Amino acid sequence: MSLDVWNEQLRRGALEFAILLTLAPAARYGLEIIRHLESFTDLVITEGTIYPLLARLTRDGALRAEWSAAESPHPRKYYTLTSCGRRRLDEMTTHWQEFSAKIDRLVDASGGGR
Amino acid sequence: MTLSDSGEARVRGYLYVLERSLRSSLPPAVVADAVREVESHIRERVAEMDPLPDERAALERVLAALGTPTRVARGYSLELSVEEALTTGRLTATLRAIWLMATKTAAGFLAALVLFTGYVTGGAFVLLAAMQPFMPDRIGLIVVDGVPHGFGMRDAAPGVEIVSGWWVLPLCLVLGLTALVLTQKGARTWLRWIRTRIRTKESP
Repeated sequence: MSLDVWNEQLRRGALEFAILLTLAPAARYGLEIIRHLESFTDLVITEGTIYPLLARLTRDGALRAEWSAAESPHPRKYYTLTSCGRRRLDEMTTHWQEFSAKIDRLVDASGGGR
Repeated sequence: MTLSDSGEARVRGYLYVLERSLRSSLPPAVVADAVREVESHIRERVAEMDPLPDERAALERVLAALGTPTRVARGYSLELSVEEALTTGRLTATLRAIWLMATKTAAGFLAALVLFTGYVTGGAFVLLAAMQPFMPDRIGLIVVDGVPHGFGMRDAAPGVEIVSGWWVLPLCLVLGLTALVLTQKGARTWLRWIRTRIRTKESP
């Protein structure tokens, strides 16, 4: 497997977790989510494909979506974590921390990967 | 900033292609919501962009970052169609999802071909069972010159014998329903596998 493919798989696997983390503190609309992700990560390569993922998380019950026309000249669709989404985020955070700690230990044990 | 007429036409064109691409596989309410959200994204980006020195280039950068309308539509339509088929279990939704997959990849086309063969075979046997009471002499095992040639409906002719009896109706019914149930189960298993693949391959 090439390094590019491996990176791509890591990115795909982390994106759903990253979106839930982005929405943990407050409701955000699509572009706001993209901007937040861009400021911390390079997970978003094509902006338009975030929206089907948000639609799927909404359908799964992890997010609640609501249109608002109050704050800008055009309506924005705001996403909020539901209680189900918050539980999912908690579980993902625990798994992520355990997983990354194990890999870090493995990297340390191998002499820093070098 | 406010777009010029040509910029506005470019945005309308993008949204039109997106809507047309989504409409082939999704309910109108979902299409309208998705298009509205993408339009909101574009308007937001346009509002913050610098039109100078070239509005057209700036707008193209916004649309390029968003991705082509067909790519955005693909993200919605494939998964939603598969999801609808799996959630409702309806034959029409299942057939629509299979058809959509068949148009996307060669493997999808082959799988769809196998599944459609199953549905057609099952449907044909059920149809034969339904017609058997009305034309008992024409439906059964077709034997031509003493050699079995198949099972189905055929007109009597010199050298052609139709071996039929009371057993044809229940046999056709059992074979047809078994084929339909097995094909539907196979289709759902395949669509579940596709859903997992789509979710792990989402690539923003």
